[in-house]
Amino acid sequence: MMTDPALPFVRRPDAARRVLIVDDATLVRLFYREALQAAGFEVEEAINGIEAMEKVLSQRFDLLVVDVNMPKMDGLALLRALRAQAEVASVPVLVTSSEAAEHDVAAARAAGANYYLVKPISQEDLVLYSAVLTGAPA
Amino acid sequence: MARDIPGQPASDTVAVTDAEFERLCAFLYRRSGLSYGETKRYFVERRLRDRMAATGARSFQAYFGKLATDPGEVERLINAFTVNETYFYREEHQFRCLTGSLLDRIVARKPAGSPIRIWAIPCATGEEPYSIAIWLLENWPKVDEWDIEIIGSDIDTRVLKAAEAGLYSTRALMRLPEVLVAKYFRRTPAGFLIDEALRGSVRFTRANVVDAAEMGRYRGFDVVFCRNLLIYFDEVSRRQAAENIYDSLEPGGYVCLGHTESMSRISSLFRVRRFPEAIVYQKPAAPDDD
Amino acid sequence: MPLVRREPGKPQPDAGTEAADLRSADPERRRRAVRGLGRALDRNPEAAETLTGLLATEPDPTVREAILSSLVGHHDPRTAQALLPLLRSQDAGLRNGASEALQAMPDAVRPHLPGLLADDDPDVRILAADLARGLPAREASALLCDMLDRETHVNACAAAIDVLAETGTPDALGTLRAVAGRFPGEPFLAFAVSVAIARIEGSGG
Repeated sequence: MMTDPALPFVRRPDAARRVLIVDDATLVRLFYREALQAAGFEVEEAINGIEAMEKVLSQRFDLLVVDVNMPKMDGLALLRALRAQAEVASVPVLVTSSEAAEHDVAAARAAGANYYLVKPISQEDLVLYSAVLTGAPA
Repeated sequence: MARDIPGQPASDTVAVTDAEFERLCAFLYRRSGLSYGETKRYFVERRLRDRMAATGARSFQAYFGKLATDPGEVERLINAFTVNETYFYREEHQFRCLTGSLLDRIVARKPAGSPIRIWAIPCATGEEPYSIAIWLLENWPKVDEWDIEIIGSDIDTRVLKAAEAGLYSTRALMRLPEVLVAKYFRRTPAGFLIDEALRGSVRFTRANVVDAAEMGRYRGFDVVFCRNLLIYFDEVSRRQAAENIYDSLEPGGYVCLGHTESMSRISSLFRVRRFPEAIVYQKPAAPDDD
Repeated sequence: MPLVRREPGKPQPDAGTEAADLRSADPERRRRAVRGLGRALDRNPEAAETLTGLLATEPDPTVREAILSSLVGHHDPRTAQALLPLLRSQDAGLRNGASEALQAMPDAVRPHLPGLLADDDPDVRILAADLARGLPAREASALLCDMLDRETHVNACAAAIDVLAETGTPDALGTLRAVAGRFPGEPFLAFAVSVAIARIEGSGG
């Protein structure tokens, strides 16, 4: 995989916020993409934690929306890898999961999630929390 | 060219609907990481029609059903999407990564006197391992301070014979600067013959990357180039291959995949590493280091 | 001459296949032992249970991966049987690893699928829906429709619809329309159903 040599060094306040959707379900990614794009976000997708790491390390993102259950590298493993890698450690992560039990939420918090939404989530909630976590203008 | 069958629409008149295009793209992305959108529709449809014609599928449904159950057809379809040509200095950014980032990290923890070991699998007719040799001689300032072993392996013994012979067409050399062609090749009536010393410095062997027992003799590599191979394998084979490559590497060693390939569809064994020149994958070293 | 030509090496004996190495403190030794056992699975199918038994307690991800990769290529009904309980693990890595391995052995999973798709635990049903991906389209479509007809959990429905959108056949259309009607307050489900229906209806050619 090639990296993008033209990463912007500076982001202007009016620049679109970039969101990486990490979920192995095709329709979930499509649902989130439509909502976020309509709200002015730029969107990229990844099918699991490894593809997310590939993209996070080669492009700038203001937010990751991450599912927990994914093949090869699940959402919590992705969170731990992100938080351990200095140059991307501070990117906010919104975890979205079908698992609603207290131990699931606690595990996500321990791995470094900024917020946790139980699936299914509405497009309004996704846009709202994405705006809050990226500091995008309302 | 597609053959017209009487009573059947010629394959290039079969319309691919939006829904079919989306289903195929979703399948390709999940299965291989190849990602195509509406802007690539013509490109995708042309290859799809070719494969439908070649398999005698009369409808998208018939062909798509075949994909779900026939890994061989998945391989042929992906092959139609990825131009699998081999030539000198192909995917040069990875060679730049090798000399710009990887080798310095490798020698920093290597005891003096032990060799640097690089493996190209599959090596096909030898362009890649010879490219690595030329690139190192031309671009790595420490090339004289270290012993470097380069091994090229392939499952196909016919291509290995060609690799050992080291005879190439102009086409294979198209990306190589003329000065390097003049320096490392001799023009013969049969084509360009690679320099004798270079030919003697790369060892070619037959190896099946999926076979664990056979791969047991390949150990202690610092860098493995495994480009444009695993994308064709099914889930079981690509996992076995990744396990074997992992075991062939030194701790902290690196894997370079082809530019359309992603480890995300293959294995979780490796760490994603980003260097200025390329993304590569690393076998973690203990303790956590760079 | 800096470039030197050497033989790649001698074939290594099957070192580390001793049972004791499976309990070694060194993950590298455990990995070797696991891979040795994996290579012998055809001769010694009982080893599949030994390997899955280790999964639950194995802390090292590279050893876990070796165990799962060994089992994936071994389409024995006993292997599937041994992996199934892991779908209930509280460890996300473990349940996803098991799910992925099972997906690659459709013939061994087939007899268990109707039961899994009707499991009491919705999280198991969600993973089970994904397992149907490995089956031929018509068979997967029928199984997922059976599930959807009585499914009450919205995320389990979503998981089944995701598979149907990719591989579902026209027989699924009636079920899909009915599902949307049963969850009027769930916009995601309405969206998923509409995409799935459009993709199935539009793929008739």
